[in-house]
Amino acid sequence: MNNAIARTTALLSTCALLLTACGGGTNTVTNSTNNSPNSTTNNPATDTTATTGTSSGAIPIGIAVAQTSNVALLGQEQVAGVKLAEKYFNSKGGVNGTPIKLVFQDTSGDEAGAINAFQTLINKDKVIGIVGPTLSQQAFSADPIGERAKVPIIGPSNTAKGIPEIGDYVARVSAPVSIVAPNSVKAALKQNPQLKKVAVFYAQNDAFSKSETEIFQQTVKDQGLELITVQKFQTSDTDFQSQATNAINLKPDLVIISGLAADGGNLVRQLRELGYKGLIVGGNGLNTSNILPVCKALCDGVLIAQAYSPEHPGEINAAFRKAYNDEYKKEPPQFSAQAFTAVQVYVEALQALDKKSKVNKLQLPELRTELNKQILLGTYNTPLGEIGFTPIGEVVQKDFYVAQIKMPKDGSQGKFTFLK
Amino acid sequence: MNINLFLQQLLNGLSIGSVYAIFALGYTLVYSILGIINLAHGAIFTLGAYFTYALMGGNFGFNGLLANAALPIKLPFAISLILASTLAGLVGIVMERVAFQPLRRQGSDSLLTVVSSLGVGVVIVNLIQYLVGAESYTYPANTYGNLPPAINFGSPENPIPIRSVQVVIFTVSVVIVGILTYFINHTKYGKAMQAIAEDPTTASLLGINSDRFIILTFFISSFLAGLAGTLVASSVSIAGPYFGIAFGLRGLAVIVLGGLGSIPGAVLGGLLIGLVEAFVPAEYSGYKDAVAFGILFIMLLVRPQGLLGRRFIQKV
Repeated sequence: MNNAIARTTALLSTCALLLTACGGGTNTVTNSTNNSPNSTTNNPATDTTATTGTSSGAIPIGIAVAQTSNVALLGQEQVAGVKLAEKYFNSKGGVNGTPIKLVFQDTSGDEAGAINAFQTLINKDKVIGIVGPTLSQQAFSADPIGERAKVPIIGPSNTAKGIPEIGDYVARVSAPVSIVAPNSVKAALKQNPQLKKVAVFYAQNDAFSKSETEIFQQTVKDQGLELITVQKFQTSDTDFQSQATNAINLKPDLVIISGLAADGGNLVRQLRELGYKGLIVGGNGLNTSNILPVCKALCDGVLIAQAYSPEHPGEINAAFRKAYNDEYKKEPPQFSAQAFTAVQVYVEALQALDKKSKVNKLQLPELRTELNKQILLGTYNTPLGEIGFTPIGEVVQKDFYVAQIKMPKDGSQGKFTFLK
Repeated sequence: MNINLFLQQLLNGLSIGSVYAIFALGYTLVYSILGIINLAHGAIFTLGAYFTYALMGGNFGFNGLLANAALPIKLPFAISLILASTLAGLVGIVMERVAFQPLRRQGSDSLLTVVSSLGVGVVIVNLIQYLVGAESYTYPANTYGNLPPAINFGSPENPIPIRSVQVVIFTVSVVIVGILTYFINHTKYGKAMQAIAEDPTTASLLGINSDRFIILTFFISSFLAGLAGTLVASSVSIAGPYFGIAFGLRGLAVIVLGGLGSIPGAVLGGLLIGLVEAFVPAEYSGYKDAVAFGILFIMLLVRPQGLLGRRFIQKV
């Protein structure tokens, strides 16, 4: 009797824990009843009677980023960026006098969460467009929802290959990894022209890291370097000693890591602790000050290519940097700058559209379609510098940077210093 | 696999396995007294790690309610470890009073208590995120004084480097398991706990206040969870409020493998799962859980009472 209870308890509790683990946290989003994929497809037609949101005052822009789960590390930075944008542009009069209003839906860290958030924003909150989701992995599942409903989507941080190609309504302000990543390898070569042997690490359960490592491995070949080993790990791993030892035994001069913040930081730390002395290049997933508390003093020297520099000249970046500094007492990270930029693109595209035909006179489906066209036409002077879009929605950006992490000996207050 | 790598993985496995062991001991203590599995154990593990961080004077990031807050004190790691684990133990007592005792009073089904503990776990995890955000936090670099970052167990020409943290964790875990075993088997309190585990009714007839010992059990169990959390965090940093979930799952595998309610079983199970995981090749690290639970599955088929568990005798 007791035995049976024991086993049932163990099994049931395992199932329960697995469920919570996969949910990745509380998803407060509840879906309206009509968001099966089919009804979503039909929505633009049935929604014509809906108000555009503008008639009730502020213009709603959806923000679907990860506010819970382990991806919230990045999502939090994006929330900070968009909130500053809302405040900044509304203080400047919004869209020719009409303020914007951000509507947040948490995507959590997985695909299902992103799909839920998109459907809620499109069908229930009736937003004019969406900024999100955080991960490329999520974008591949959620963006088609927006595409079918004909709602503009701007990816603030999706850098994997093939994102704008998802559809006509999908654009991004985050330059693809193929353009950004090679810069850091070139910077490593500049610091150590003798380097020859390269070890590559990547997180095999993350679409973005897989896409990024292909670019890194190609760059290694293009630069005439020798790829001595490719080591795989999971973003959920914490122990990297066997991979690190395997690689160190082959005596690499350069290690390149494609992963996310917590795993990337731990990998850097364990490589150093086990005696690796050479240069380390980190991918975009490590491009956050959140890795600093993980590897502390051992983060020192890690090179990371950047699509944003706080030191970028220009009035809007100065304003953004100051606002961020005032609010959070540190330099703005790339994820916040890109999220700010995504909102800016909506605001300026709406302003331009409003001059042609008043946006509060347009029905929602028409507004979404016209807005999407306008987004792709414009050029924008943003904290990232001047950007525009190709006809399929790929960002065209001029300036890229490489930053090197500098840590004091006690590992307390590290920062990204930008290389000239 | 060459001999160096083998030795290295063996030591790694023992180190992580010893943490699983002290974590699973907490599960096992509660199970042996109350016959239930406390699913909030993983959350208490996380909480212990955060407590230590706070006691060491660490300040929190800008995303939570406690943005940039820090305690005015900076305690050394060893003291913070003990204090934080004690705090985790106190949270365990509160949890028992709020989520377990009322159900026990009503004589509810043990499954309901399990669900209640799951609820406590979810609340704690979300509370942590609400208060201090989802950032990762790490203890200061000099946590373990001036130990070198890695210790070489091989020769200079033929190095077998092991991170010092792993060695410290293993040592601390062995000491804790020793103390706990002594406490259970050789002190009056430990023997009383054993008596309650054996038969609560008879124990109370013999004058043992079972309610007091349930509180003590929850305190020790949560103390161990908090301690394990801090030890793991000192090795791989606190990866956010969710970082105890994986340990919660592994802990379940460990106690079922070792035998529900068996203290030596939890230790043996912990070391075994740690070793098995260490020998999963790095590139298949995503399958570590699958391997751990695969073993668990086979165990349930072959020997349902676990390695060192007692076969329950059906009493008529």
